[in-house]
Amino acid sequence: MKTLVTVKRVPDPETTIRVKPDGSGIVTDNIKYVINPFDEIAIEEALRIKEKQGGGEVVLVSIGGKSVTEQLRTGLAMGADRAILVLCEQPLDSLAVAKLLTKLVEKETPELVLMGKQAIDDDSNQAGQMLAALLEWPQATFASKIDFAADQKSATVIREVDGGLETIGFALPAIITTDLRLNEPRYASLPGIMKARKKEIKEIPVADLGADITPRLTVVKMAPPPKKEAGKKVETVQALLDLLHTEAKVI
Amino acid sequence: MDFSLLEEHRMLQETVRRFVKQELMPLEPLVLQRDTQGLTGEDLLPNDVEDRLHARAHEAGLGGLDVPEEFGGLNLGTLPKCLANEALHHTITPFTFPPDAPNLHMLMQTCTPEQREKYLLPYARGEQRSAIAISEPGAGSDPAGMQTTAVKKGDQWVINGRKIWISRAHVADFIIVMAVTDKGKGSRGGMTAFLVDKGTPGLVLQRQIPVIGSHAPWEVVFEDMTIPDSQVLGQLGHGFAPMQLRLTVRRLEIGSWCVGMAQRCLDMMVDYAKQRVTFGQRLADRQAIQWFIADSATDIHASRLMTYHGAWKFDNGEDVRQEASMLKVFATEMATRVADRAMQTHGGMGMSKELPLEFIYRRLRPMRIFEGPTEVHRWVIARSLLKD
Repeated sequence: MKTLVTVKRVPDPETTIRVKPDGSGIVTDNIKYVINPFDEIAIEEALRIKEKQGGGEVVLVSIGGKSVTEQLRTGLAMGADRAILVLCEQPLDSLAVAKLLTKLVEKETPELVLMGKQAIDDDSNQAGQMLAALLEWPQATFASKIDFAADQKSATVIREVDGGLETIGFALPAIITTDLRLNEPRYASLPGIMKARKKEIKEIPVADLGADITPRLTVVKMAPPPKKEAGKKVETVQALLDLLHTEAKVI
Repeated sequence: MDFSLLEEHRMLQETVRRFVKQELMPLEPLVLQRDTQGLTGEDLLPNDVEDRLHARAHEAGLGGLDVPEEFGGLNLGTLPKCLANEALHHTITPFTFPPDAPNLHMLMQTCTPEQREKYLLPYARGEQRSAIAISEPGAGSDPAGMQTTAVKKGDQWVINGRKIWISRAHVADFIIVMAVTDKGKGSRGGMTAFLVDKGTPGLVLQRQIPVIGSHAPWEVVFEDMTIPDSQVLGQLGHGFAPMQLRLTVRRLEIGSWCVGMAQRCLDMMVDYAKQRVTFGQRLADRQAIQWFIADSATDIHASRLMTYHGAWKFDNGEDVRQEASMLKVFATEMATRVADRAMQTHGGMGMSKELPLEFIYRRLRPMRIFEGPTEVHRWVIARSLLKD
């Protein structure tokens, strides 16, 4: 099975994020970047599918500047076969990403597109759904278990939904987005790192794909969440009730 | 001049950091608990835990970093080995990716084709453990005073003597033993290395000596220990230079250990300073603590650059004995200073055995003694500057 896996370069969740004083974005100096953790789960799943089926191809796709090569190389070191980098310096909203991916899917004709359910930087959780709509393919979001029929023509996915787990079946090709509990991604092994040096990262200028990436969204302002304040101790239940009513305004 | 690490070096660093975070860090409470019970060295981790770690490291292909491809390794060199060692020393959980010591570098220079099959290859693959016996009760850094002798009888060598401060002697599959074969020539032509298998008759593990830190080296006695001529490692009489090479690599590694441990201390200091409040002020707002932090960061930066530079130069085939001596002195003293500041910053918690600082503090002390004490290194550095 040929699987296309999307990879986004995001700030390391362990670094401290600071918002620029003018609210136009985050301070990017000295920030460490990693593969979006949900995308890492998607890569792992694609590799497991390939290993289980004893064949196929895992192709990584990313959109961004040259610097994304670092994350793609890490994905190749995990075991992916090759990578495509759509060179694009401008920020993109989810719809633009989905449109570019549509063009790539038409070129690459994979049986499966695996994506992280969302990127941990903007938390949009839209690109996968939009891509499925644009391609008119079935979609299974928030996957925590994926199985394929013996003929590899259809899949069964267990989804993590609000009330519990939902199992759905659908025909391939399809889009699946990954949730946290799907798997535990492997390390980029040392032999894998050495092999990754020789693997292809094909660069495509964004203009060559001919997709309409006009921004539909404008980021008006970015602000850090309010600082958590220390709690209060009250003497009586009545005082607590009063404060809940007058200050917290919850009762 | 380009100070950036290669892409694969950065990826290796990432993989090792992740290994440390996921596999080794969670074991720290166990290590501290066992340390408090008096266990040391290899016993700080239960055998099954250590086996599991080795299996995980093997899966990730984290062995043979500096082993050339012809011996089944990845031939990355000493710099990546130092990067891995630095990351591994962020935690006190003791773990080394095989092969276990720079004995590799000695073996690579000296092994015969037969010795290569029997010792070097299994060792490079991580299947065998090694030890080296250099110091003696009466001769540590001064090899001219070496008393252990090897005398040829027919096609056998008979070795007699006593060696001390040998790490891992009890678990090693083979020990490299340095012995005098020509008293008159000393270290220039009179010292030979021998490969001695575990269980060789006449090889006596005399006693294990608990020392400050986390290991307990051995005293080993050779009583008419007889081994065939095929166990001579390298050229007869010329064991000193390959041994020196091995010590040089070890000194670079010690630099990376110290950088890793000091970085952990600094990270802890920074975290603690930001949350600990005394007399109405955070430690982070007090100049005394700020200076501890600034000086430590500067110290670590300098040592890290020295380590990377020394390893890089060594990988380029140059002689780094001088740099290795400087690094050994500087990095071990640097980490001692940083650990001391970290302990001071943490106050009561710093001295407790519930945090790793006390363990790190103890572990650093012998590093200024083993692999050549600080004073000998200073003397060597000065001697080469003052000669002629």
